[in-house]
Amino acid sequence: MKSSKDSGWNPYLAGSLTGVVAILSVWIGDKFYGVSTTFSRVAGMIEKYIAPERFATIEYFVRVAPRIDWQFMFVIGIFIGALISSITSKSFKWVAVPDRWRSRFGSSILKRALFAFVGGVIAMFGARLADG
Amino acid sequence: MNMLIYGLVTGILFGFLLQKGRVLRYDKQIGALLLKDMTIVKFMFSSIMVAMVGIYILKDMGLVKLDLKTTILGANILGSLIFGLGWGLLGYCPGTQMGALGEGRWDAVWGIGGMIAGAAIHAELYPFLKNTVMTWGNYGKITLPDVLSVSHWAVIPVFIIFGLIVFIICEKKGI
Repeated sequence: MKSSKDSGWNPYLAGSLTGVVAILSVWIGDKFYGVSTTFSRVAGMIEKYIAPERFATIEYFVRVAPRIDWQFMFVIGIFIGALISSITSKSFKWVAVPDRWRSRFGSSILKRALFAFVGGVIAMFGARLADG
Repeated sequence: MNMLIYGLVTGILFGFLLQKGRVLRYDKQIGALLLKDMTIVKFMFSSIMVAMVGIYILKDMGLVKLDLKTTILGANILGSLIFGLGWGLLGYCPGTQMGALGEGRWDAVWGIGGMIAGAAIHAELYPFLKNTVMTWGNYGKITLPDVLSVSHWAVIPVFIIFGLIVFIICEKKGI
């Protein structure tokens, strides 16, 4: 594999292989890549547990029921795959505040946490609205 | 049960390749949004170019079916603008933050929490969205070849040429 400075793979190669995996996934499992529906399902699982009465009134959780499906496992798999890859290539690194963020907004973990959380709320609302 | 194992294996392969491509990092994601580091664009376009050819070949052979999402201009345009705003703040997208956490970038945890909350808010507002934004410009399950009334093999090469031009520009500019 072609190595760059930080010993990653060429992005054209890694991207193309991802495309091959996508083809095999559609062919063998009849499944297209997707992530964001899982966040709706997890939100449903949590609400069902902590506020079952509220949960029962929400129409969307009938359409997108809180259950563990192909995509839920796919999302867990992304975590495991990145863990395997980073540990075996010694590129695993604990990072609380990314470099580019730090150079612009400082090293406060709280500040990063706040913006990341709010960003996550906004991004997922948009993703679900667009049905992406 | 089989489907769950397929999902896990597919996810592991995807996460492995995302990590190898170095696209899980905040710096890379924001770098792409600033047009300063196009690693993610190279990765994403390569993946789409390969997958679109392979999947359409399988479709022509009758081996697979497409799984089309409904095109609703109001929801798609508004939703993607909102998504982009959040993406710029967080610096991870829904899938990559899972991988970012896997390689130790634990600020992804905040994003994951925020996204679960965002999904809950979306579910709360769904009845309202369904009667408003999601009715604006609903074209059903369409594809570009359908709209243009041409074969998909007329559209795919155009996309590939566009992608290759983007790659050449990125390489020339060294981004």
